[in-house]
Parts: sequence; structure tokens; C-alpha cells
Amino acid sequence: MPDLLKKMFEAQRQHPAAALANAFDIIKANFITILILIFVGTGGKQGDYTLYWIFGTFVALLIWGVISWLRFQFSVNEGELKIEQGVFVHKKLYLTSDRIQVIDITAGVIQRIFGLVAVEIKTAGSSSKEAKINAISRQEAEKLKKLLRKGGEQETEEISEKANKIYALDNRDLVIAATTSGRMGVALSIVGAVFSQLDQVISDQEIIRFIETHLPNFTSFSIVVISIVGMILAAWVLSFLSTIITYYDFKVEIREDDLLISRGLFERKQLTIPFNRIQAVQIKEEILRQPLGYASLVIESAGYGEDQGNSNTLFPLISKERMHAFIDEVIPEYHVKVDHTVSIGKRGLRRYILQMVWLSLGIIAVVWSMVPYGVYAWFILPFMLLLGYQQYRDAEVKSGEDTIIMSSRLLSKTTAIIKKYRIQAIEVKQNPFQSRLDLADLIIHVASGNQGRTFKVRELVDEQATAYKDWLANSKRKRQLEADIDQDQSSESIE
Amino acid sequence: MRSSPQQKLSKSAIKAWRVSTAIVCLVFILIPLFFWVYNTFSPSNTNFSIWLIGSISAVLFIISGLIIFFLPEIRWQHWYYQVDEHEIDLQSGIFVITRTLIPVKRVQHVDTRQGPILRSYGLADVTISTAATTHRIPALDEKTADQVRDRISKFARLAKEDV
Repeated sequence: MPDLLKKMFEAQRQHPAAALANAFDIIKANFITILILIFVGTGGKQGDYTLYWIFGTFVALLIWGVISWLRFQFSVNEGELKIEQGVFVHKKLYLTSDRIQVIDITAGVIQRIFGLVAVEIKTAGSSSKEAKINAISRQEAEKLKKLLRKGGEQETEEISEKANKIYALDNRDLVIAATTSGRMGVALSIVGAVFSQLDQVISDQEIIRFIETHLPNFTSFSIVVISIVGMILAAWVLSFLSTIITYYDFKVEIREDDLLISRGLFERKQLTIPFNRIQAVQIKEEILRQPLGYASLVIESAGYGEDQGNSNTLFPLISKERMHAFIDEVIPEYHVKVDHTVSIGKRGLRRYILQMVWLSLGIIAVVWSMVPYGVYAWFILPFMLLLGYQQYRDAEVKSGEDTIIMSSRLLSKTTAIIKKYRIQAIEVKQNPFQSRLDLADLIIHVASGNQGRTFKVRELVDEQATAYKDWLANSKRKRQLEADIDQDQSSESIE
Repeated sequence: MRSSPQQKLSKSAIKAWRVSTAIVCLVFILIPLFFWVYNTFSPSNTNFSIWLIGSISAVLFIISGLIIFFLPEIRWQHWYYQVDEHEIDLQSGIFVITRTLIPVKRVQHVDTRQGPILRSYGLADVTISTAATTHRIPALDEKTADQVRDRISKFARLAKEDV
């Protein structure tokens, strides 16, 4: 063991495969931009150049990757990770082990070819830093992890290495999750972007000629309908596939003091989340899953920048009956008895409905004026009103002992369970229309990733919102007092 | 029921804000001015209507006058803050009233900041960062700002907890 440690102290480079991985990282991060550049860059006329474009970009990125591999060195010294990197600007990054929140080990396609892994190291807070070592062997990664998890804990680490319990997502649930995935929105925007670039490649005349020769009986109305349906279908397929790829072979291992989540088809992701870093738990009921009685569980944890902004999926799909058992076993402190509930009053309903009316009138105005057959946009109005009513019904604030539970709905329903002592800031917000009706919004900020997450319940009665704000503040004071007393007693007993 | 926070910002905040608002307004007034210059020196005949430019700049002038003279004062009147050993309590906003409560033990760090305008009036902003948010108590006089910063940092040290 000692000589292994010594080896880690010295500055060293990554495996050369990092050059390739660096290049692919850039491609992955700018995939859509590159796609559009290729479409626009060729303009459809001289299609022959497309290949040169792709090839040239790839070679440039590869050279960049090699240089950044050469410039990258890392070492560990007394629990401090030091990374030197930078192609043009030389950067030195120091991360001390007691500030490190998260050490992720992932294996992408490139890494798998060479039998390597990538290690990501993150700290918390608004000035959060993250470091990524793109290609090292698995043993080295594990060693690094052990070294950076506070020095003295090495022996306990070994005990807690054993999983107490494993939850896995079976294939049937995976398919259900993919079918009802809430990623439609993202997928739709990608498909939309590609569609909007299509006319660069195929000219309008070609499309019209094609339609006239092959589908003479179609009116332009049915063409509009068909293309909308086509786009939605394409988006659905895309979101289906992306969900399968992301959550394939999903597993949660519960260990002594952390959760180990692994998932992914091409790229195996492995996240370790210490229990004491969990900031809040969210139950998300997507609009397509809710009628089937399914929800997904998401945890906010300081120091993560993963899917869905900064949150992490704790379990992608779980039936509502099983959920309580799951919470009880995995995160028991988030199962609390509720002793106080506040829902939105009638006055609030008016504002929920009105907001939807303004929103839909806006959408209708735009669609009506811009799109042929836009008149049919009026059909969305009743749906929006229904949504507004449902938002009003779902909005609720509950509390028990030291926990606040906030439910609200935009499109899918989100229930956030937040421990009082995790709250970073509390806000009560009131605009002139609300103050006339004595209503206010209650907003709670929680640390998550490097920015934080906001939970909001709209149109609470002003007094109730303020009462909650005071309760959150005052009971903290009580906690503080109790802590003081405890300290006094312990110091007495020492004497 | 907790009472509202009591402390007010420095009175010279109003003057400092007037100057900074004036600078922003000046930029907007420069836009019609640019068109006017373009009109007089442009060789071609495609000129912009002098009346349109005139009326736009008149409107801009009146609006900026109102903003410069009234807004800072009203804004100042609606700003309250209070710092004690448990919470930092902020209330601000003219139309949208925001009341923010930051538990002191959540504070990660506190800064005082000072631009050239604030400095010439002997003022400074106090910026409070938590792991999730950043808040600002604007335009306190330097001494108060230093005191507030040191107090918050002292309280935060006393009530230290993990993340």
C-alpha cells in the first residue's frame, strides 16, 4: 500500500487515450452547433465539401486533444489534488479533500475501448470548481478516490464498500419510463432545429414538386397536420431512445453512508452520493406517468451537475405504492409525519386561471398570425384552463417536525421534501395584484450542484406564507438554543 | 409574528443611484442622437424622419428625467435590512415586494464591493453568498458596510455547520 500511495503523489499524465476523449468531449458538448454548422456551411449546393468540413474539424479537435493531454498533469499531496492544465492559459487547480463533495467515475465509449475510466471531482457552492481526469485506469481511479476521501477513513471505507441493498430498474419499467419520458420537450426542440435546417438542403420547389407528383389529393391543411404529427413522432422516438440509453441497467446500491447510482448503455455512469450531502428530495409526477400511477424520484445534492440541471435521478420510475417503502428504506429521514397543511384558497384560484388565460392568449395570438390554419390554436384554451385549475388543486405546503413539503405543478407535478436545516434562503414575494388580494408566493432556495435550486408555491394567503417563513426561521432559533444547552451540559459533565 | 426589518440604507445612496441611472439613460439618449448625426452627414437621400427622431428623443428625455429624479428616492424608501446572529432579513421592491431571509449559518462568504460611483460617495455594497444564492445589500456607507460584513462573518463563524 505505501508504495502505491507514493506513486500517486508524483505528478503524472493521463493515459494517451485522453487525447481522443478530449476531442469527443468537445464534440459532445457542441453537438447541435456542429450539426447546424455543417448544414449551413455547405448550404446544400456544394455537398461535396461536407466531408472535408467534417474531416477538417475532427483533425483540428484531435490536435487540440493531444495538446491538452500534453499540458495536463495531476498529483495528490496530503489529501490535496493538484491539476495543471490549459492549452493557451496555464491553469493550476487545487482541491482539498474536505471540500470535495463528489467523486464520479464514468466510462464513455472511448474509455471503454481502452478499458479506462474518467474521474470527475466536484466541490460545492457558488464558487464551485470541478476537475475532470479523462482517462486513467480503473485501479488508479479507485486509488485516487480512496486518497481523496478524507485520509483517515480508509479502513471504514472498506467496510462500507459492501452494498447493504440494491434496487434495480427492470426492463419492463425501463420501457414504460422511456415511453412516457418527459424528455419530449427537449427532443421536440432538437427535431424542430433539424427541420428548420432542412430547407437549406432541400429547396421548397423540390418539396412542392414531390408533393404534387406523389400526393396529388392532399390539401395544404393535411400537409400541415401530417408534418406536425411527424415531428411529434420523431421527437417521441428520440426521447424514447435517449431514455433507454441513459437509464439502461439502472441500479442504486445503498451503503453505509452513501448511495451508489450506476446507469447507462454506451456510457456507464457511476455516481457516489454521500447521504449527508443530500439537500432535498423531489417526487416528480410527469403528466404521462401520473395516470399510470408512476413517479420518479430526484435528489438534489451539493456538488452535482448531472441530468436535469443539477439534480440527480434517484430512481427513474417507481409506482406510487412502492415509493413510500423505497423512501423508508433508502432515505428514511425524508419520510415524515405531516402535522400542518396549507392549500390555496379561492382567491388564489382566480389568479391561477387568469395566468393561464393570458398565457394562452399570447400563444394563440402568435400562432394565429404566423402559421397557416393558426385559428385552430384556440383549441388549446380549454386545455390550458384545465391545467390552470389542476395547478391550483396541486399547489400545497405541508410541514412536519423539521421538514417542509412543497407541491406545485407546471406541467408535471413536483413535490419537494426539504429539511429545514438545509434551506439556504427563504423568500416571500408579492406583486401589486397579489397584495390587493393578500396573496404571496413562498420561495425556498436549496443548494444543488453549483447553483442551487428554487422551489416555489404560488398564491398562498399572505399570512400563511409569512407564518411559514417565520416558522422556518424561528424553529431554527429553537434548534440553536437546544444545541447550546447540549453543549453546556456536556461541558459540565466533563468538569 | 416577526416585525419587518428596520435598518435603512445610507441616505447618499439616492445620489449615487441618480448618477448611475443617469449614465444608463445617457446611453439610451445617444441612440436617437446617432440617427440625427447619421441624417446630417449621410450622403444618400434615405434619411430618417427628423420629426420621428425628435419625438422619440423628447419622450426618452422625459422618461429618463422622471427615472433619474424619482426612482432612486422611492427605491431607497422601500429598502430595509436587518442582521442578527440568526438571520439576515432583507425587504425590497416598489411593486413586487420581496422579503428574503437568509439563515446566518448558511452564509459561505461576505464581500463588500465598490465601483467608482459608489466610492466617490463613500458607499459600498455588501454581497452575501450562500451555497445556492447571492444577495446584495446595496449602497451602505463604507463604515456601516464594513461593520455589517464583519458582523455577518462573525455570526457565520460562530454558527458553522457543514454545507
